[in-house]
Amino acid sequence: MPLSEVYAVASKDIVFESFDGEAVVLDLSNGKYFGFSDSGSKVWQALSSGVGTEALIRSAAGAEMVSAEALETFIAQLVELGLLAPSSATPLPSSDDLPAALAAASEPLNVSVHDDLADLITVDPIHEVEEPLGWPAVKQVS
Amino acid sequence: MPRVTLETLPDYARFLIAAAEGAAAQFPVRRTVRLPGLELIAHLDPGAFADALGHAFLETDGDSLSSRQCRIFIGHPGVGGMPVPASWGDAHFTEHGFAQKLAEVGLRGHHYHDLDFWQVYDPDRRVGVQLMRSADAFPPWEQGAPLRAFLHWEYAARGMRLAHTGTLGLDGRGVLLAGAGGAGKSGTVVAGLLNGLDSVGDDYVLIDLESGVTARPLFSILKQDPQGFVRLGLERRLGTDRPINWQGKHAFHINEIAPRPMRATLDIFALMVPHIGGGETSSIVPMSRKDAVIALASSGIAQMPGERESGFRFFSDLTRLLPCYRLLLGTHPEEIAGTIADFLARAPDEAERDHAGL
Repeated sequence: MPLSEVYAVASKDIVFESFDGEAVVLDLSNGKYFGFSDSGSKVWQALSSGVGTEALIRSAAGAEMVSAEALETFIAQLVELGLLAPSSATPLPSSDDLPAALAAASEPLNVSVHDDLADLITVDPIHEVEEPLGWPAVKQVS
Repeated sequence: MPRVTLETLPDYARFLIAAAEGAAAQFPVRRTVRLPGLELIAHLDPGAFADALGHAFLETDGDSLSSRQCRIFIGHPGVGGMPVPASWGDAHFTEHGFAQKLAEVGLRGHHYHDLDFWQVYDPDRRVGVQLMRSADAFPPWEQGAPLRAFLHWEYAARGMRLAHTGTLGLDGRGVLLAGAGGAGKSGTVVAGLLNGLDSVGDDYVLIDLESGVTARPLFSILKQDPQGFVRLGLERRLGTDRPINWQGKHAFHINEIAPRPMRATLDIFALMVPHIGGGETSSIVPMSRKDAVIALASSGIAQMPGERESGFRFFSDLTRLLPCYRLLLGTHPEEIAGTIADFLARAPDEAERDHAGL
């Protein structure tokens, strides 16, 4: 899938916070959490604030952990997860310190999905539903 | 049987509140529960739910929070003119969509389909209704933490939060124990209590960020599965003749094992995420705030209806205020408690320094 020139957070249900430079995203619509590696956090912060993909690829040129190919795969993954969507906004330039931040990253691009509420079902079936289908679609514990 | 859709939900919620207030004089029992900063007045009839209100809360005196009053009507068609509860009429239902629809009109709510069990709350007027098919037609988890959804909505409206955490403390300073069920949280709280530490509760405690991180007690019930009950020596201490709860667990009152009367508050200086370590001895190692917030917020938000975004922001702020640790649990309750007691006895700034070295 060709990359869009610029992306935006996919919906108002996607909210995020940063902790010591590491991003955590919550999809309010289904309660899924997403934790990013250090390089992934930098890329998420750039893309979610409207930095254009070309500018991002240029910023990552000297970064061992962020090849252009890996970046393309990562962006596609964020779109597939429903976190980002192509945007028609004007792409923003990257910040001056982004190349250094990406070069300093020690982990490859990665986003982990935390959907481990299944164990809570035994504690409290109040959420024993398969979102977004909802009742009466009972969540299947894998 | 009336059916409610997302479209008619706000009107139905308002209808329930009006019906309950109209029938107020016909609720035979009025029970007052004194919680931190909140006097909860429950209107209901005698029975299992009234009994649960009598023993499930930890009522404390001397709390510094300014107090408000809220009224909750707990009704069914056998009380005054209370209506038969409606069923959900849309094919599609999500907790988030349901909560959002009510939030648009300033209300909060929850619906448990299997029992046509409704809870709606107006945080501006601090009036709520729990409508059931009959006096005992409530979900089984309500007995251990009754009316928790109303407390969640009321405290959230005031910038506080019910957190799905355990607590342990010493001399007024304590730690939060976060994580999903099965991580060892409840067993750790019991191990601590049995070995001289304090707690302001397990499962749900009230958190306030007004001045640092403060935890306050709400519910008194502790739970242990049969294996944990034996491993912790509770079989000898409490006996085995009490009934098993709906989860197949032993339920008991925190004051049955607490070493001293419950404190009104614990000043929290660290967040811990327990894990079954697999080793003989316990250890406490720094962990990233990113991982800690996922452990803390995911269960805290998922177990409460509505307020997801405000909950995420709240738990994020909380996590930024605290150093975070992974607690790798050993196998002996005394040793686990000793490890935490040693940690608690160290100065909070030492804990902060540990974390700075991550």
